[in-house]
Amino acid sequence: MSERHMKLGAFLMAGGHHIAAWRHPDAHADAGSDIAHFIELARIAEAAKFDMIFIEDAAAIRERNADLASQAARSTAFEPLSLLAAIAVNTTHLGIVATASTTYNEPYGLARAFATLDSLSGGRAGWNLVTSASELEAKNFAASGLRPHSERYERAEEFADAALKLWDGVEDGAYLPADGAAFADRTRLHPLHHHGKHFAVDGILDSQRSPQGRPIMVQAGASDVGKELAARTADVVFAASQTIGEAQAYYADVKARLAKYGRAKTDLKVMPGISPIVGATDEEAKAKHRALQELIPDPVGVALLASYLSIQDLSSYPLDGPLPEMPPTNLIQSRQQLIVDLGKREGLSIRELARHFAGARGHWQVVGTPVQIADAMEERFAGGAADGFNVMAPLFPSGLQDFTTLVVPELRRRGLFRDDYEGRTLRQNLGVGAPASR
Amino acid sequence: MYLGYSLTPFGHHPRAWEHARNVEKLGFDALLAQVTAAESAGFDFVLLADRLGLRPAETPSSVATPFEPTLLASALASKTPRIGFVAAAAMAQHEPYNLARRFASLDLIGKGRLGWLAIPSGDPARDAEYFDVVTGLWDSYEPDAFLYDKAEGRFFDPEKMHVLNHKGVHFSVRGPLNVNPSPQGRPVVAQVFDGAGAPIAGDVLFLGARSVEDLTAMTEDAVQAVAACGKKRADVRILANLVPVIGETAEAADAASAALAFVEADRAEQPLSGIRIVSTADTIAGRMTELAASLGLDGFTILPPTLDMARLFVADVAPKLARRGSVGEGETLRGRLSLPHLTHPAKEA
Repeated sequence: MSERHMKLGAFLMAGGHHIAAWRHPDAHADAGSDIAHFIELARIAEAAKFDMIFIEDAAAIRERNADLASQAARSTAFEPLSLLAAIAVNTTHLGIVATASTTYNEPYGLARAFATLDSLSGGRAGWNLVTSASELEAKNFAASGLRPHSERYERAEEFADAALKLWDGVEDGAYLPADGAAFADRTRLHPLHHHGKHFAVDGILDSQRSPQGRPIMVQAGASDVGKELAARTADVVFAASQTIGEAQAYYADVKARLAKYGRAKTDLKVMPGISPIVGATDEEAKAKHRALQELIPDPVGVALLASYLSIQDLSSYPLDGPLPEMPPTNLIQSRQQLIVDLGKREGLSIRELARHFAGARGHWQVVGTPVQIADAMEERFAGGAADGFNVMAPLFPSGLQDFTTLVVPELRRRGLFRDDYEGRTLRQNLGVGAPASR
Repeated sequence: MYLGYSLTPFGHHPRAWEHARNVEKLGFDALLAQVTAAESAGFDFVLLADRLGLRPAETPSSVATPFEPTLLASALASKTPRIGFVAAAAMAQHEPYNLARRFASLDLIGKGRLGWLAIPSGDPARDAEYFDVVTGLWDSYEPDAFLYDKAEGRFFDPEKMHVLNHKGVHFSVRGPLNVNPSPQGRPVVAQVFDGAGAPIAGDVLFLGARSVEDLTAMTEDAVQAVAACGKKRADVRILANLVPVIGETAEAADAASAALAFVEADRAEQPLSGIRIVSTADTIAGRMTELAASLGLDGFTILPPTLDMARLFVADVAPKLARRGSVGEGETLRGRLSLPHLTHPAKEA
């Protein structure tokens, strides 16, 4: 057995993950609408042999208040699937993972879209399944508002099953069979006839079978039903964990759920987010962090914190006081708990929590030298907390370049990361099993 | 004269695949090669018609690309600097917010070269509301809304963002769109004209008549429908679909046509149809020019029956057509089609 290597994803976002990245002197302020910028970022990640790039999604503006929205570069973005279609044909080995909602799409259309990404990329596509927890998204699709968490997940389960069956409904060699009598060999096509509670799907996808069998399935759900769906269907899970203890508990929890679905522990890769701020020295890293933090307008940070807590408004509470008690929510329950816990553990004020979360947006942030960052990653990788990391550079392209030129060589020196791609498909590079067609 | 190129892996003839029995023709590189050839020949746009929204039940079609058309358009647009793309998407298969967002995003990737072929749902009232929602979402930001003012921390001017707040019979959509505004104001909207009283929201109408007689009547109907919708004739491009069968001589063209054995039953597999002209390149170019003038057409969308016929059209017919001068990089599809410049509703007052 070869040595175990970290999996690395580059989570891309316009000017950077830091909420105020676009204001940084090095930032292209209009990066979010510049396709050349994203192709450049993908090529940086590919040159460093990253497993994948990852794009998040929201089918709505993220902030209700127009004044606050107008101060955030995240208010507008490329739609992820169209963005990744362009990146697919401008890269050769890099996995491309897009987020898409099971609540506001239907299975045939979305399975078809991911089959297309998988074909365009030669077997490098992945789907991060989300159920869309925001009220603002709900308001773009129905007058009835956001559906409850349990109902969204019930739909997601049925959606995922239909998508998997559609992808597996076309065998290798179904198009232009060697015997040549017909354009397609019907014995290698298995139309889906799904009539469930939420969907009716009849037919086959009009794509050839992917070189990696079917797209990689990714999830980030941290609720109990989310983890169960991941254990059953996902190849990769992203997770937001602050401490190594939280990360270890999450890792052990999802891995323990695999056996009952007949899956091995290596069949699911756990890749928590890391927000690295890299400097040649500790002082330089801290100075880079400070420069970004000072660009955050307080109202923007506090509104972002409120949205992570799934509450309407925090602006009536004193900025330098603690968080108020939180009502229970049917939204993203796990992230709310994470913020409340951090606030209590470290005694942080609303302003401090806002700055903290605006910066890394709930993910694990490490500010330091390449050695310090590699140490922190190695501790979690070797300590049963991660199979790899989803790297959230605070600023693009420089924050990603800092990571690829300074941290990646340090990881390689320690034998923790690949020198070259193992294969051409995302499934090969992640080292997760290929599914059989139906 | 405006020219579109309808993209298929083997050609529009349902048995064209028998003449190019090669699985590579289904791949992106082969499709891109067709598009690059059309771009070099000065075509204005590529049409990704996607069997007009018809999904395969039991077996795939050889006359459709094995890719979802909007994503294929994105990939192709990233590899070509000038030609436009018109991609089909069915109003029954996409939520209006998702569709508006997809095409707004494509139009940024293609730098203003994208168009949407709107496939109707069968309910004209629903479709009319759908067009209103999509158009309203595309107008979420005024063209000069984005300031990128780092010092003041102002990404865009909130006064120039417009929240749609649509509450209609079929749709409830708050908005605004979360994509920057289109470089061409809005993506171009195209429709297949079916003469049946569907709402004309489009900038481009495709006419699928199969004979010159039918095309004459259909063009008159289209012109009337445009007027009935309160649009100026000059603000809409009316294009006829054309299936060219080209030979070195008229006899060779007839022989090629006979070999292809066009039969009416094949139409079912090929949802796009058009007038068929069987002749030499010179004669076909002449007929196209005559038809455009006599019927008042703005141009044609070419439905090559086979890849050989596509090559012959690009090499021998396209250069003979009277077309505006060469088109530079950076021109939008709206500009290429000489469609009127759009003014944002907020600027009209």
